[in-house]
Amino acid sequence: MKNIITIVKKDLKLEFRKRESLTSMLFFGILVLVILNIAIGIGQNIAPSISGGILWVAVIFAAVLGLDRVFSNEKENRCIDGLLLSPIEPETIFIAKMAVNLIFMIIVELIIIPIFIVLYNSSITLENLPMFIAIVLLLNIGFSAVGTLLSAISSGTRRNDIMLPILLFPILIPLIAATVKATSELLSGSPVEKYSQWLYLTLAFDLIFFGSSYLLFEHVIKEG
Amino acid sequence: MKILVSIAASLFLIAIYMIFSYTPTEAVMGIVQKIFYFHLPLAFTGFFSFFVSFICGVLYLVKKDSKYDVYGATSVEIGVVLTTLVLISGSLWARPIWNTWWTWDPRLTTALILWLIYVAYLILRMSIEQDGKRASFCAVMAIIGFVDVPIVFFSARLWRTIHPVVIQKDKIALASSMKLSLLIAMVAFFALWTVLFKLRTKTLFLNERVKRLNNKIL
Repeated sequence: MKNIITIVKKDLKLEFRKRESLTSMLFFGILVLVILNIAIGIGQNIAPSISGGILWVAVIFAAVLGLDRVFSNEKENRCIDGLLLSPIEPETIFIAKMAVNLIFMIIVELIIIPIFIVLYNSSITLENLPMFIAIVLLLNIGFSAVGTLLSAISSGTRRNDIMLPILLFPILIPLIAATVKATSELLSGSPVEKYSQWLYLTLAFDLIFFGSSYLLFEHVIKEG
Repeated sequence: MKILVSIAASLFLIAIYMIFSYTPTEAVMGIVQKIFYFHLPLAFTGFFSFFVSFICGVLYLVKKDSKYDVYGATSVEIGVVLTTLVLISGSLWARPIWNTWWTWDPRLTTALILWLIYVAYLILRMSIEQDGKRASFCAVMAIIGFVDVPIVFFSARLWRTIHPVVIQKDKIALASSMKLSLLIAMVAFFALWTVLFKLRTKTLFLNERVKRLNNKIL
């Protein structure tokens, strides 16, 4: 546990000194929101069933940018060797890196979601806010679990920046589909029973992929 | 090897004969229905390939024997080809029967996403030079990809049950002559799969040997 906190602190300190990832993630996310708004047509009323999808496209595209940095930072000057030589288990490194990705994602979402609400005229009331937070967290956990594993893979390849989305997006399709569906239902004001099965699906995705990523990470990081 | 090839070839001849002259033309769908005898075996063998690559991935990570990497890579390559053919043959059939090239039916969705995942696997394979690293990364990707399959299928099914089902797939009760043709086509495709698998693994093993000899000389 102490080791996890140490790694997370180190990564966050690094990020807040340079502010490289977060700035580009945020800016890119906002850019996607604006572009999609224009692409659909300015001045049109966008139905909640569509805007739910747009929000997650923006968040996921932004999050991939941050995911990519977490391991390529370690690759510079071969920092990863130091991390592996230290008496820390690979599993601990996985949890720490996943936590860092999770924190980055949440920071980005805290800014992107309000902008989304303004641009797309969506209504998240106090009533459905807890469910909305649940949807967001379930997506974040699944995304950062698979994302951490696959970014460790992609950082070991020749074209690491393009490899990550190629590997990650096909795997994430069911998670994104379920999250979009749940969000659209929530934004259109449906009762919880109408989309709870989508939440169970994301929960299942999270559990399965957290487990398998946790177990497989060791094999990836040692080859890195 | 020669025996295997001739068995596969003759099975295919028999299958084609059975499909086009022995079995009667389907009453409602007509001649288009013949695609089915190729489509189903393609789907079966395609899915089987990905299952093999999943098993090989696990075996590689446990035993670290490069032979499993070669087996896994071969079956993914074959699987991608077969799944491509499944998607094409399915679309050709769906256009006259369902009146659309594509629909987000659970099976179609699963096939498409599988195809995407394993094409990503092949791209990953191309972009790593070192053998050990490539083998481990690809094994992990094969496992993760296959683990995704049930979730994809389930989510697609959920999607359809919420939405109105526009195109209902009718239950295909087969006449016994059709079943026999299908069975022979299935066996023929598995024979083809074995031939392809053997040929391709042989090539990859030879490649490895050439690489080793090269390193020895230089």
